[in-house]
Amino acid sequence: MNRLQQAAFLTELADHLLSNGSWCGETHVQKATYFLQTLLDVPLGFDFILYKHGPYSFELSDELTALRADYLLELRVKFPSYGPSLVPTETSAGLRQRHPITVGKYARDIEFVARAFGEKGVTQLERLSTALFVSHQLGLTASAEDRARRLNELKPHVTLEQAREAVGEVDRLAREARALKSE
Amino acid sequence: MSKHVHEIRDPIHVFVRLDDDERRVLDSRPFQRLRHVHQLALCYLLYPAATHKRFEHSLGVMELAGRVFDIVTHPANVTDDIRRLLPELAQDDKLRYWRRVLRMAALCHDTGHLPFSHAAEEALLPEGWDHERLSRALIEGPEMRAIWDALTPPLRVTDVVKLAIGPGKAKDLTFTTWEAVLTEIIIGDAFGVDRMDYLLRDSYHTGVAYGKFDHFRLIDTLRILPTVASAEGGAAAEPALGVADGGLHSAEALLLARYFMYTQVYFHPIRRIYDIHLRDFLSAWLPGGKFSTDIAAHLGLTDNQITVGILDAAADPGKPGHDPARRIASHHHFKVLYQRHPEDMKRNPNAGQAIYEAARDRFGEANVRHDRYSERRGATVFPVLGKDDRIGSSGVLSEVLQHLPAIAVDNVYVVPEQSTKAADWLAANRAGLIQTPAEVP
Repeated sequence: MNRLQQAAFLTELADHLLSNGSWCGETHVQKATYFLQTLLDVPLGFDFILYKHGPYSFELSDELTALRADYLLELRVKFPSYGPSLVPTETSAGLRQRHPITVGKYARDIEFVARAFGEKGVTQLERLSTALFVSHQLGLTASAEDRARRLNELKPHVTLEQAREAVGEVDRLAREARALKSE
Repeated sequence: MSKHVHEIRDPIHVFVRLDDDERRVLDSRPFQRLRHVHQLALCYLLYPAATHKRFEHSLGVMELAGRVFDIVTHPANVTDDIRRLLPELAQDDKLRYWRRVLRMAALCHDTGHLPFSHAAEEALLPEGWDHERLSRALIEGPEMRAIWDALTPPLRVTDVVKLAIGPGKAKDLTFTTWEAVLTEIIIGDAFGVDRMDYLLRDSYHTGVAYGKFDHFRLIDTLRILPTVASAEGGAAAEPALGVADGGLHSAEALLLARYFMYTQVYFHPIRRIYDIHLRDFLSAWLPGGKFSTDIAAHLGLTDNQITVGILDAAADPGKPGHDPARRIASHHHFKVLYQRHPEDMKRNPNAGQAIYEAARDRFGEANVRHDRYSERRGATVFPVLGKDDRIGSSGVLSEVLQHLPAIAVDNVYVVPEQSTKAADWLAANRAGLIQTPAEVP
């Protein structure tokens, strides 16, 4: 994707997260993008490491700042009990209209992730995305219990029981993503 | 054995104090080299007093890192929740070890900077290299390793690397929660002491008052806090650096200072074109057109040799890099043809690129330059500890931060001899040039 296609993609993702009930702070966009790259093979090219609330890309963080500088995203307090949301601007709607191929090609992937993540909070997203990170790190053949233990080891504030649940949910999402890709 | 304390006078912090072990780092070749690397590249061509170097900045970062560490680890400033998440806070020997690592990392964090700091880093280092990778190579190198090994207890070189360059640049290393918090003290997006020191110091030396803020108050109110908003209360979450309620205005002042320093100094269009002329000169002057990543070569090259090279090439049309050198030496820089404009950006987020390509075709590649750059990690969201002990988000509690714009430059420059003609050409063609083409299969 070139820069404008990537901008169209990311603002479309923010739009879908918001319409699925998400607070859509940076953590939400980070984790949703990680799932889109990792489970659905969307070629965004961001490099994720295990950091804040799980997998995190400094390059994506920079790009979200750049999108704000380019008047394509803005910070707005939509949910006063949480932090500010990243909201696509009218300018971004125009950009997306001029990129119908990119937006259309990934529409189902974006909607799948937005529906899965829309109503989740930061702590839930941290568990899920770290579970996916661990699953990739240990390999898909590793047992659910091994992955849960590794998650708990990497993020001690996530209990083993919460880690098991997260690994189970990631496995379910992975099955659904495979089915979506094979359609 | 008691440590002798050395005091160094500093215009920003009055005194920077360091012990014998830190003095060994100060006396090392990688650190002494920073005496000859300008903090703000050629900015002194616009702001004549901006001749300060990475050397004193690095000392300032160490001084502030120590102060922040002492505040955020003070038992009175740590909540029970945080103590449970970070057991290191209850172990005196670990705290002593990590305070030492933090100050050493702060000293070394900029040792990998190329001559003239950031000016030519991205374009003139081989793929995959940046100044952080060079800093890491120096910290891991034999001269510095001998210092880490000689300490009691010895410092793990990986720990120094982690805190000096952070997770974004040490992607092969896994950071514990404790280590992640400590890296925020040096290079954190909101309150990193690297940022605090450069804003205060650059403001002082440029004579631009906008960079000042009440860093004493801010540091006193820094806390390690849970990052999750009150609405998710009860959910365990990673801690991060935030502020107690009384520090929010000081934090706003820091982030406003950053905004103004970027708009007034760092992104000043004439400062930016001098960076481009310097880059053009270096790509002609350096062997192979690139900086070497060999450590001995890095240690041997500073602003001094390059300044001599510029003056030499400026005086002799036969020398490589003569044209950009004379532009720097005689202040005959390219002129601004186009600067980003919100209305243009709304029509085409790549407006500058579109104008650059058309101007290049019209006036020739050698006569036009384009400069596009967005601020990085402009995050202004951090936890705030309320008077009622609830955790809130700065992004909600501060209307100032909600409206702080992200900053970017998108400039097109043209050779001075063509500037009038180019301005007329742009005025006649601007509307057509910035049309955004629709995506085609």
